[in-house]
Amino acid sequence: MRRLEGRTAIVTGSGQGIGEAIAVAMAEEGASVLVAELREDTANAVQRKIEEGGGAALAHATDVSREDSVEAMVQACLDRFGSVDILVNNAGIYPTNTVEGMPEDEWERVIGTNLFGTFLCSRAVAPHMLAQRSGRIISITSGRGLQGADNGAHYAASKGGIIGFTKSLALELAPAGIAVNCICPGVSDTAQPRGHRTEDELYASAARIPLGRIGQPRDMAKAAVFLASDRAKFVTGQTLVVNGGAIMQ
Amino acid sequence: MDAKVVVVTGGASGIGRATVLRFSEEGYVPVILDRDAEAGAATASLLETRQVEGRFIQADLTRKPEVAAAFERILSACGRIDVLVNLAGGTFHKGAIHEVTPAQWKECLDLNLKTTFLCSQAVIAPMKQAGRGTIINTASNFGVTGGAERTHYAASKAAIIAFSKSLAAELAPHGIRVNTIAPGLTGTDRVRGKYDEAEWSALSGALPMGRAAMPEEIADGIFFLAGADSDYVTGATLHVNGGMVMP
Repeated sequence: MRRLEGRTAIVTGSGQGIGEAIAVAMAEEGASVLVAELREDTANAVQRKIEEGGGAALAHATDVSREDSVEAMVQACLDRFGSVDILVNNAGIYPTNTVEGMPEDEWERVIGTNLFGTFLCSRAVAPHMLAQRSGRIISITSGRGLQGADNGAHYAASKGGIIGFTKSLALELAPAGIAVNCICPGVSDTAQPRGHRTEDELYASAARIPLGRIGQPRDMAKAAVFLASDRAKFVTGQTLVVNGGAIMQ
Repeated sequence: MDAKVVVVTGGASGIGRATVLRFSEEGYVPVILDRDAEAGAATASLLETRQVEGRFIQADLTRKPEVAAAFERILSACGRIDVLVNLAGGTFHKGAIHEVTPAQWKECLDLNLKTTFLCSQAVIAPMKQAGRGTIINTASNFGVTGGAERTHYAASKAAIIAFSKSLAAELAPHGIRVNTIAPGLTGTDRVRGKYDEAEWSALSGALPMGRAAMPEEIADGIFFLAGADSDYVTGATLHVNGGMVMP
């Protein structure tokens, strides 16, 4: 029995990395997935990958930091699949900079994508989930949101903000039976940390992780499927750390 | 010897029984360790009616020799222990700090914390030898928030969280994961028995999701932490409480 049979899911930033793994895993569990991604080419590639695996997917070019784009994203999901049962807020960016040298537009871009984008997408799906009195919202935060980021105060602020937002939204939507949670990855084997780490540095970080390896996108996808499934319907407002023990909470 | 073996302490009733049934549905051989002989026998016969292989061993898990003997029996009978779920213990009568006697304090800490320590210790050697294994310990929302007149209980549960993180770090190099499940208000017979109908509906109705957890929902969280779906999760605390506490 597949765990998300008949559900519909929007996964933002799912053209690559953790988002792609979540989209693919949810489709494997029977969900129809809207692959919401800024880059149309990678979105199309993930749609094809899901379809080749026998799943249902639709690529949709989305800028989560723009309200009109987010509304179009939700409408596309409704038009194609008829409902939005699951939202995964995964789209995010992580440029590096000191606070002292941080241009205002870089700050706005990071907060606008990571935190404001999470707000916009959650806000856009909430009426539909409230109307059907069910739904799941899962947002990807970061260990940096718990412990801060050297050369990434905007990123840390955006990810810390997602945790506070998630707890508040969980309280707001709990009376309707809608669960809202975060997944907190550690260093992961994706393109993002490669932006400011060499390959050697990336894999060397495994030495500081109790389980001895960096995270794989598939690790986060398994947690996301659990949080979206019937087995987690009473889990809400939580931050599930999937990081090999790097930060224990 | 092919089926995975889960040992559930406090498995005779409540969340423990729900956990035993959940794992048995997934093909595990459940072993119940509990001091309550009557409830243990009842759950064992429930397994029998479901034609599930499993066993009940009566033991006082606060005593190291009894713990050692119980785990020796399990290993000689089953040959392996894949998962240990430490659920023995539970909530205690509330009491103002000056009313909690040293004996009550010790009883609470022994039942919740020491059983967790002793049973964890007993599975380390076989799990190291196997190069894998998972341990799930049980905390509570009170282990994070504390609670008025629950100083002993909250201390024991907060201690379990810190113990679990330490053990997770110690055992990670051996491929053994250690995590904590933290139930909130849960509708077990024992907890329900503390309240009359009106008190219970007021208490559970005031929670964010408007109800208490069912024991099966806690068992679902435990099962996630035990299996391959969480194989990159260690040292974590999973709260299953409908939003009651969000640490």
